Amino acid sequence: MPSHDSSGKPFEVILETPSGAQVIVVQAGEHIWDAARRQGIVLPAICHQGRCLTCSGQLIGPGEFDQTDSVSYYPQDREAGFILLCTARARSNLHIRTHTQIGMREHRKQHGLPAPYA
Amino acid sequence: MADTPVVKPGDVTQRVGVEVIRKRGVDVEKLIKMLVANAAAEFASTYYYYTILRMHLAGHEDYKEICEDARLEDRAHWELIVPRIYELGGELPNDLKAFHDQAGCVAAKLPSPPTAVNILTLLLESERCAIRSWIAICDMTFGKDPRTYDMASRILNEEIEHEAWFIELLAHERDGKSIPSGHFRRGTPGEAPYSKNSRFYNP
Repeated sequence: MPSHDSSGKPFEVILETPSGAQVIVVQAGEHIWDAARRQGIVLPAICHQGRCLTCSGQLIGPGEFDQTDSVSYYPQDREAGFILLCTARARSNLHIRTHTQIGMREHRKQHGLPAPYA
Repeated sequence: MADTPVVKPGDVTQRVGVEVIRKRGVDVEKLIKMLVANAAAEFASTYYYYTILRMHLAGHEDYKEICEDARLEDRAHWELIVPRIYELGGELPNDLKAFHDQAGCVAAKLPSPPTAVNILTLLLESERCAIRSWIAICDMTFGKDPRTYDMASRILNEEIEHEAWFIELLAHERDGKSIPSGHFRRGTPGEAPYSKNSRFYNP
């Protein structure tokens, strides 16, 4: 999978945060977490490597994203709709619930996968 | 005193040293998890893998020595963190793989090809993850848990210096640029001026 959108097309991402829904524009090649920050939304994160799960979100509905920049991401994570926002690139418009680190850690533990801070 | 938690005389199931910080708003169980993750990052993600990285910096003896300083100081951090985990009522996983998998930062595995630029880039990003991990502990404990905060800030001091070293070396090696760290080599390998020479735990 390419590490950037070959068409250069930006995508609209709706973030369902604890303080309400926010709509951001994510540029081609940009990580979703960085796009949110650029637009004034500070989401949780620690490692910025796609490792610690602090930045976890979960898809609400269908969507495509590129998680190849994450150092630790598993097929089971994708099947469950989890997305590591600090190292994820949008490949379509997306609707994401943010602040799901606790749920993602539980999911990892249930699958016997690494779950830092769990 | 109104804010003194009740621990009965002779009770060994509770610790005043824990209850006072809980009373001040520290989520002790979360703090323990974060300290375990940071201990795993120091020991498994960096100290162990830096041992390998430094072996592959032949021809760059200055880089090798600085990598060695970072390696030994990360080991000093590990030694510093573990007693605090147990003081707080936590423990380490009794399984090395489980411990490794708890690490909040990626394992600094030897890159391919193992060029000086690739190794220095890896070292730099490893130190940056450590800074982010320790500032999170500082934020969580500031004004509430002075003992953990003191430990975290000592470690953070050294991680910030490590980042500066690897910025300087990578800029020189990769870009031919001078971006001074502002530091000179440690007096002795792995001197750990913040986390070891003034340590509060002395095994």
